[in-house]
Amino acid sequence: MFLRIVADSFGRRPRHKLLTGAALALGMGVVTAALSVSLDVGDRLAKEFRGLGANLLVTPQADSLPLEIGGADYRPVNAGAYLPEADLPKLKTIFWHNNIIAFAPILEDRATVLVDVPSVDLNSLRSNVILHPAEPPPVSIIGTWAQHKLSLPDGSSFVTGVDRTNPWWQVQGRWFSEGLSECVVGQALARRTGLHIGDHVYLGGSEPRVLLQSSLPQFLVTGLLATGGAEDDAIILPLDAAQHLSKRPGQYRKLYVSALTKPEDDFARRDPKTMNAGEFERWSCSPYVSSIAYSIKQILPGADVRVVRRIAEGEGQILTRVRMLLWLVTGAALLAAALAVGASSAASVIERRTEIGLMKALGAGSGTVGFLLAAEQLLLAFVGGGVGYALGIVLARLVGEKIFGVAPAPSLIVFSVIIALAAGVTVLGSAFPLHRASRYEPAPILRGE
Amino acid sequence: MPDRRAANRAMFWRIIRRLFGANPGRLFVMLLALGAGAAVTAALLNLQVDAKRRLTTEFRAFGPNVLIIPKGSSGANSETLPESTIHLVPVNLPSGRVTVSSTLYMIANVFVPQSGKSLAAVVAGTNPLAFLRISVLSSSTSEANLNGPAPSMGQVCVAGARVAKQLGFQQNTELVLASGDRHESCRVASFHQTGGPEDDRVAIGLRAAQRLANLPNRISAIELIVPGTPGEIQSYIADLQRRLPDVDVRPIRQFTEGEAKIYNRISGLLTATVAIVLLLTGLCVMAAMTNVAMERKMDVSLMKAIGGSMRRVLRLFLAEAALLGLAGGVIGAAAGIFLSIGLGKAVFGVAARPRLIVYPVAVALTVIVAILSAFPLRRLASIRPASVFRGEA
Repeated sequence: MFLRIVADSFGRRPRHKLLTGAALALGMGVVTAALSVSLDVGDRLAKEFRGLGANLLVTPQADSLPLEIGGADYRPVNAGAYLPEADLPKLKTIFWHNNIIAFAPILEDRATVLVDVPSVDLNSLRSNVILHPAEPPPVSIIGTWAQHKLSLPDGSSFVTGVDRTNPWWQVQGRWFSEGLSECVVGQALARRTGLHIGDHVYLGGSEPRVLLQSSLPQFLVTGLLATGGAEDDAIILPLDAAQHLSKRPGQYRKLYVSALTKPEDDFARRDPKTMNAGEFERWSCSPYVSSIAYSIKQILPGADVRVVRRIAEGEGQILTRVRMLLWLVTGAALLAAALAVGASSAASVIERRTEIGLMKALGAGSGTVGFLLAAEQLLLAFVGGGVGYALGIVLARLVGEKIFGVAPAPSLIVFSVIIALAAGVTVLGSAFPLHRASRYEPAPILRGE
Repeated sequence: MPDRRAANRAMFWRIIRRLFGANPGRLFVMLLALGAGAAVTAALLNLQVDAKRRLTTEFRAFGPNVLIIPKGSSGANSETLPESTIHLVPVNLPSGRVTVSSTLYMIANVFVPQSGKSLAAVVAGTNPLAFLRISVLSSSTSEANLNGPAPSMGQVCVAGARVAKQLGFQQNTELVLASGDRHESCRVASFHQTGGPEDDRVAIGLRAAQRLANLPNRISAIELIVPGTPGEIQSYIADLQRRLPDVDVRPIRQFTEGEAKIYNRISGLLTATVAIVLLLTGLCVMAAMTNVAMERKMDVSLMKAIGGSMRRVLRLFLAEAALLGLAGGVIGAAAGIFLSIGLGKAVFGVAARPRLIVYPVAVALTVIVAILSAFPLRRLASIRPASVFRGEA
């Protein structure tokens, strides 16, 4: 009998049920979309923030202070310490190896540059064109990786390089290929010396000596680099070529690491030395930038790992804000949907006063009536919630693809939250009118009063 | 004739009053649905306008985004600018104030009289010295009073963490900076730990650095924090370059480009979310209202039975819906003010400035939604009063 009444109520007034169900489905659709996007957005934005460049900087602990002004280092050439390149694959073996999305070692030096410019070349002048012949201020050379394929200890390989850690470095032309004698020239330097893509440069070591063009390594210019920084005045080479030139085989001096991190909170800023075992475990199991720095330090002996605060903290601050903003918008959507759904289920109970009166006149108790109506509403909630979820997933997909190019993955948690929410909202929305209905006297209602 | 019209009008309003008064429960439900919709609409619209503006302020957390350096300066040469250049930089933009700081870099010998240790380091003369606090987030350093006793007198300096480590000095240590036969002494007010080149430098007041370098009224670079959207920053840079043809105005591309990308993503996200929420809030309210409107069969039948034309009946119900929409909209918009203040405080720590235009828009939208949701009543035009009263339909 119970089921028959419920089925009858749906069959008899399909339009009413449809409307209430539609309100539910729409409301739950918004909530689903907002929830899916909010759950996903942190990771997506964290990836976007990596466009700002490396957030960790590794330098040798024993290094002397760089005397760097505007990108030029005034240290004596041989001062300072270096780190072994052979340790680098270990970076992808730390606990947070999936969070490390790129790294690039840097070896800077100065070199005398001979430019061979075919465009101004006359046969008689095919001798060396020496840059600044009077007082040759050596040009900075930067050895690094670009699209470098690194074989990892576990047999897989990982492609990384300065093009990933510093994505704002724009190369007109292409990056050098490693293993070939190629280089990329900063645009300011290229403009000063009249270098073009396809020209050759000859690089001599930093020590002054007799320069014989034929004895110098020759590099093909494959691209012009624009960075807006000191690199515009430098020549960028493959790391091994720079190591060879500066006679520091297998060494680097600076390492940029770009890692996906969780915004730091007060807990993250504490000194790990003051934590007890449990706290330390929690700290090192959260991808805070400081705990990633800590685990890098463990595997690179002699290295000093510093957090680039300007990037890490700016990022953390904005990420926290945006995430909170989205949660609040989700909350607002939830509130509006809940109220609208609640209102419509309240309305559907109010209009059934006559029916309630009749049922009570036939001897149904308040409990039975309430149970019947609640069951009806719940059924509606499950159907509406399910349809709303499907609707919301489509919406979230549209939004995700439009903004980030990637759709958020549908999640079961969202589904259960949505169904629970739909049920909760409808029951709450009908509770108040149901409560009133339970006190109805059947006689006046049936008389039409 | 005018009497009849007046009587008609009086009757019209009387019916409307009764419609409202007859069922307070129903009225409450409708006002709740409409009000909630209006509140969310107002709050979200307000936040949407405000959040984009705020986001650009948030980007200041990254520090300077524009650099002014001597023309042709490639870093390797130590050219300088006249300090007066700074006065030519426009600081008041529609999007906020530009923060300006000027710096003179030099290499000096840093000597700690206490321990007798010394070392060559980069000294950055910065004006104002308090700029360091906003330009670099030195959370791990002790907050020192940089505004203290006339910072540009060379009394205090801020030491990079690595300099401090190598020389082994603490806060309030006296340092002597020497270059050639000139020297300046200062007290270490705090440390920097930024992970950037600041860690290897000692920052002092600009005047002291100029005395030390013997370059009065010269600076090496001006750093600007320009607020605004990426487009605004681009046009500011172009404008500045036109005004100052003798210097190089460079965006710090790492930040300007990164910010532009992130700003576009976030603002797109915000617009999309707000649009979806608004659209579906409207639909939800409409669904709720329609449900309520459907139960008016009896009223319509009665009116028709005593000779009301469908047009007049409909007008009556539309007027009721519009009034409800207005009331719900006003209540909701008022609630929306508090909601948006709360939201703004929660997200940005500052209450969103109420945009007056938002509220009429929210109220108007609510009225439109209310009227639209009364439209299913048109279906009642085909009702036959007799069958309704017989309880058949």
